Amino acid sequence: MKDYVKYFDKFTFALLLLLVLAGISLVYSAGHSSAETNYLKQAGWLGVSLLAFFAVFALKTDFIFRKAFAVLLVLLAILALQVAVGGTVARTKSWFRLWGIGFQFSEFVKVPLALYLAKVLAQIESVDARAFVKILAVIFAPVGLIVLQPDMGVSFILCGFLPLVVLLKKVRPALLVVTVLLMVLGGLIGWHSLLKPYQKDRIVSFLNPTQYKDSTGYHIIQSKIAIGSGGLAGKGYLKGSQSRYQFLPARHTDFIISVVGEEHGFIGTSLLFFIFFIVFYRQFRFNFQTDEEFYFVYLFNGLMLFQFLVNVSMAIGFFPVLGISLPFVSYGGSSLLSFFIGAAIVFRIKINNYLA
Amino acid sequence: MYLSKRKLTPDFVKKAAVVSTFFLVILFTLIFVAFWSIQVLRHEEYLRLAIRNITRTIDLPAPRGVIVDRSGTVLAENKINFTLYLVRENVENLDKTIRRASFFSGRTVAEVQEIIARYKKYAMFYRIPIRSNLPQGTVIFIQSRQDEFPEFEIGMQPSRTFPLAESAAHVLGHLSEVSEAELDAMATGAYSPGDAIGRSGIEKQYEAFLKGEKGSRTVIKNSVEKIQEVSAETQPLIGATVVLTLDLGLQRFSEELLGEETGVVGVLDLRTGGILALVSKPAYDPEAFSLEMTRDEWLAISNDPQKPLQNKFLQGIYSPGSVFKIVMALAGLQEKLISPGLTLTCTGSQVFYDRVFHCWNLGGHGTMNLFSALQNSCNIYFYNLGRRLDIDTIARYARLLGLGAASGIDLPNEKPGLVPDSAWKLEAFRQRWFPGETISVAIGHGSLNVTPAQMLKLIATVALRGRMPRLHLLQRIERQGKVVRESLPEFRRVPIAEEHFEQVIEGLFRVVNQEGTGRAAAIAGLDICGKTGTAQIIAKENPHYKRLTQEKKFMPHSWFVSFAPRENPRLAMVVLVENGGDAGAIAAPLAARIYQKYFADEGLR
Repeated sequence: MKDYVKYFDKFTFALLLLLVLAGISLVYSAGHSSAETNYLKQAGWLGVSLLAFFAVFALKTDFIFRKAFAVLLVLLAILALQVAVGGTVARTKSWFRLWGIGFQFSEFVKVPLALYLAKVLAQIESVDARAFVKILAVIFAPVGLIVLQPDMGVSFILCGFLPLVVLLKKVRPALLVVTVLLMVLGGLIGWHSLLKPYQKDRIVSFLNPTQYKDSTGYHIIQSKIAIGSGGLAGKGYLKGSQSRYQFLPARHTDFIISVVGEEHGFIGTSLLFFIFFIVFYRQFRFNFQTDEEFYFVYLFNGLMLFQFLVNVSMAIGFFPVLGISLPFVSYGGSSLLSFFIGAAIVFRIKINNYLA
Repeated sequence: MYLSKRKLTPDFVKKAAVVSTFFLVILFTLIFVAFWSIQVLRHEEYLRLAIRNITRTIDLPAPRGVIVDRSGTVLAENKINFTLYLVRENVENLDKTIRRASFFSGRTVAEVQEIIARYKKYAMFYRIPIRSNLPQGTVIFIQSRQDEFPEFEIGMQPSRTFPLAESAAHVLGHLSEVSEAELDAMATGAYSPGDAIGRSGIEKQYEAFLKGEKGSRTVIKNSVEKIQEVSAETQPLIGATVVLTLDLGLQRFSEELLGEETGVVGVLDLRTGGILALVSKPAYDPEAFSLEMTRDEWLAISNDPQKPLQNKFLQGIYSPGSVFKIVMALAGLQEKLISPGLTLTCTGSQVFYDRVFHCWNLGGHGTMNLFSALQNSCNIYFYNLGRRLDIDTIARYARLLGLGAASGIDLPNEKPGLVPDSAWKLEAFRQRWFPGETISVAIGHGSLNVTPAQMLKLIATVALRGRMPRLHLLQRIERQGKVVRESLPEFRRVPIAEEHFEQVIEGLFRVVNQEGTGRAAAIAGLDICGKTGTAQIIAKENPHYKRLTQEKKFMPHSWFVSFAPRENPRLAMVVLVENGGDAGAIAAPLAARIYQKYFADEGLR
């Protein structure tokens, strides 16, 4: 027990806590003009997430890897059930209310999927056709269900596992070609049959925001105005006009970085990015006892980095508005809980290494 | 234990760490650069956009300056006018709103729809004026139930009111709402939709001074246009006060004197060139234009054959008739073609260029010199003078004495009238001038056209022995108690010898005081000099002249131009009664009453 305390990565943990606390204060700022209490809910979610973090941290890594597939199946079943009968919240079925608390089950797919993929990668020498089909199936089963919810953001992020797999493991070139073709095909099918008109608008408007300035391009323009108007030092906490007078859309979730930019300026955004950089740096650089652990750490942290990049690029108009939150900072309990569970496993893997 | 043993080499793990760190550094550098570019390099551009997002500037209307007469009596001022506005962003059910607006405003549903359509290009929060001058009852009804009608707003604006109604209407002029086409043509910010702008009279002439300066209020609003706070405010600046030379007492007296007649009275202070009274009948109530005028009201006033909107003093075009003999006499004297002693016998008619021309006195005046010819308004004398002066010389003197050009009085839309000459004839008709035409012009008929303003200026120049005054209505303009503009007396010397004016004045004195055509204007103890003029509507040569002139509309116009006293003259006056008939009997006595009133008020008699 003493060793657990001694080798626990307290510094990285403190940085994660700092991100969440900064997030809560930003959620407060984003909602205070309309007297919203999301920041209290987020604080509650932080409590729940910390409990879950230590609970998962206490579990043995091999136990976690063993149960990953079962958890994944349960989640897929829930998602399928939701698609079939689920209630509709804000035109999507991704939210599920349980005891008055909204759960977004799609968010919970990330960790078990990373665990399962890590296991698959550890067991094979290189990605042959059979393994590749298995990997594609296990990624696109949840992606498909989540697209049907429809939740473009999470399904897009989960697709990020595919390039990560390709980076981590040797894949036969022929398979890569097939993958690219599949993606193009999937993209075309998705564009013509799956995407709702408003979703298409979002993607098109990204390419030319000023032409869509009153509709979907509005988000990107207002976000850039918020960030740019913040300048070097920002307008001050609670003083961002873009956020306070409700020009900034989804300011407590997808565009929380824009609130940072407006109220705390370039100093604020740089500081936040610097914290993220340190977190990522420390979460990648350590030794491993098993291959599973290695693959999981790279898949999970890689996915988090991917989500971080997409979110930040979206805020400055480098990426379409897909509804993707900033890990640990944005409002959203399911996402926070999911990332803390994943982080708990990474922290446990680090301990394992020291204890070995 | 199903977990695989570690197969990855330490080198691979190390390489993965190095590669991942490398990626991290690259990606974060890109992000830093992107944010640096937006937040630092392009900060000002985005800050401007952010400020534009949240601010809105609202005009605060400026009260219009008041117009007062020479003694400070208010002629035009402002009152509070309640306007019904519709704000589209607060509309829940448009059909219902349109029906309500129609009920409140008394307009038809179609009219309301048309008004709303006109403001299509304005923002949803724009207050669309549906009807101004809302009755008090409607205002109270809407305000007491405001939560039931969130889409309606009651606005209070200063609106123009003319406390004297029709009095001096043509001097003051009227206002109406600025049109969309004008708004497009004007510099932005000067006027907003719904603003009133001067259309005629002093209201138009001194619009720039009367208008005042709009204030503005800048407010902070949110993304759904709800106002959050006021960030800056500039108070409006009230328009300047325009003080006129008009003497309201004399003005009203002259108006009443003219009564139901159609005609003009103009009274001039010869010491300054300031107009003391300016009457044009029939008149109209300019306030009717400040309110909402219905189409029928507009058609009634604009199609009235008596043209109540026209200021006949400077827009009415008439033959001067015998008044023109003043010009003829001055031309003849200056050209040395006549002298006061030269005599001529009037037998009642004379043949010129194979045509018989008559004197108004068909029996003939007998022997006439300049003085008696003016006194009796003998046509034969002036026919002969006209024949000796050619038309171009006559035209030159007429122009010297202010005819054929706007008098320059400070009122808009003045007509120049017409002084015919050979060049004009050639251009207008491609014909040479026939000498016979000169004979008609010599007694103020033919193509010759003048305005009463020109006649007043003419008689004033005679009274002042060749010093032509600048006619003006403006005394001064005051802004916040400071005089920003003042009319000073201005006179221009006419190149005609002073002695000739004295000679003509002798004639004009006899017109009134020695049993002349204007004897009805005589007042004991006041040396009034004047000249009558009877401007024929139909030629005397017309075989039906006698029968036709029984009808009022074919009766000749009666002129009387005059000034008093003869030495050190104070007043000059023009009186014109349309279709009045004999000038000596109609126009001259009116002038006498006005002199009496003026000199009695001034305590001079």
